[in-house]
Amino acid sequence: MYRETGLVSSQPPSGQDDAALLTLVRSGDEYAMASLFDRYSKVVYSVALRVLRDPASAEDVLQEIFMQIWRNPESFVATRGSLGGWLAVVSRNRSIDTLRRKRPMESVDDMPLASNYNLANEAERNSLMEKARGVIHLLPVEQRKTLEMAFFDGLTHSEIAEMTGDPLGTVKTRIRSALGSLRKAFTA
Amino acid sequence: MSDQRRITSEDLTLFAMQLLSKEEAAEVAAHVEESTAARRELAEIQSDLAIYAHTVDMHSPPAQARERLVKQVAREKKVVPLERTPEATGRLGPLHAANGAANESYGNPRGLGSGAYLLEDEPPGKSAAAKVFPWIGWAVAAGLAVASGDLYHERDALRGTVMTQATQLDHLSADAAAARQVLDAMTDTTAMRVTLTQKGQAPAVPQGRATYVANKGTLIFTANNLEPLQPSKTYELWLIPAATGESPIPAGTFRPDERGNASIIMPPLPKGVEAKAFGVTVEDEGGATTPTMPIILAGT
Repeated sequence: MYRETGLVSSQPPSGQDDAALLTLVRSGDEYAMASLFDRYSKVVYSVALRVLRDPASAEDVLQEIFMQIWRNPESFVATRGSLGGWLAVVSRNRSIDTLRRKRPMESVDDMPLASNYNLANEAERNSLMEKARGVIHLLPVEQRKTLEMAFFDGLTHSEIAEMTGDPLGTVKTRIRSALGSLRKAFTA
Repeated sequence: MSDQRRITSEDLTLFAMQLLSKEEAAEVAAHVEESTAARRELAEIQSDLAIYAHTVDMHSPPAQARERLVKQVAREKKVVPLERTPEATGRLGPLHAANGAANESYGNPRGLGSGAYLLEDEPPGKSAAAKVFPWIGWAVAAGLAVASGDLYHERDALRGTVMTQATQLDHLSADAAAARQVLDAMTDTTAMRVTLTQKGQAPAVPQGRATYVANKGTLIFTANNLEPLQPSKTYELWLIPAATGESPIPAGTFRPDERGNASIIMPPLPKGVEAKAFGVTVEDEGGATTPTMPIILAGT
């Protein structure tokens, strides 16, 4: 592989940051690709599994996302914020697409993330997870359930309103408020 | 959503989660394209969603998932122009800046979900290497053409070999079928067996005929006019080796049918044992390892 790319890693790919790994991937470095997989496959798979509730389908989504990174690493750029965060959102969106058996909405995946969390570091990643879970746990049950139905189950606000009997506006507000609480906790 | 309606944060949130109808999504997308504030808010929402996604219970993917990816990656090896390699690690900033500018437009078709390979943003280099690289494609194409020709000839040769072997197989199958028929005829207990003698002579006496090929260890023995035996007894054929001092080798047991006929076809015998004579004895049922006297039939 290195013979082909002309690159020699001065340090193991697994120890490098996301930007460096993506650059290596762009150069055709298979080890760098494996390192990215080792770093983020768990969250990508877990999100897909939560949405699809089927290990085989979740594995397909996982494979699809990482192969597209391999084929097209430029699809993620630093201006989109954290690679880990972006992958988590893309995994959710891909899984919802699979659930609905529809083509991916490229325009939404192209949207950048405002924050640049360093999820490449496992300790920071775990810290973020714990904090986020804590915030979500403290949300009112209605907000928590509504956000869960929208994000992980892919239900539209109309569907949620129909299922819960709540007005459409209330459903929208609950989703927005839940995410607002999350943002507030992380920007405080 | 009407044209007059204000796009709210709630709408942007639903848009980010792909929960709007096609028409509503198009309306929000148009608004986002026009509004810097909307783009900023959408980026914040995406960030919120990324955090929320991390609240899911974590599960490790199956071990074979990594193997599957590595194999697929290896199958889709990249051909990287050498001129890009030296600067690859150092130019992440400018590249990202360029893409960042491009991303201000929502018409940018290069999303992860596009499933297509990207075209390079940068204009082609003017170096000598850049002038040479286009020819590499032709060279590769020529190489592939030669390789294809070789493969074509190889395929023809293989096809000829397969046809030859198929013909040989047909012949062997026919031979095997004929041999099988001979064996079936010789061992069929219902087959008619007649011993011809000179007319007017005394009734035929017990007789045996052994055909033996020493170097192959092949023995065919037929007998006729044999006396019937008690149920607890059997006839046994013996090969008497030509070498001095070697014990007789048992060559199979047999019982005659009601007309006194019997045969032994290709009993298991060691190859290369020269025979001095063959003999038949009467043994207890199941046979013996050494012949019991007297010898009923013998021949050299």
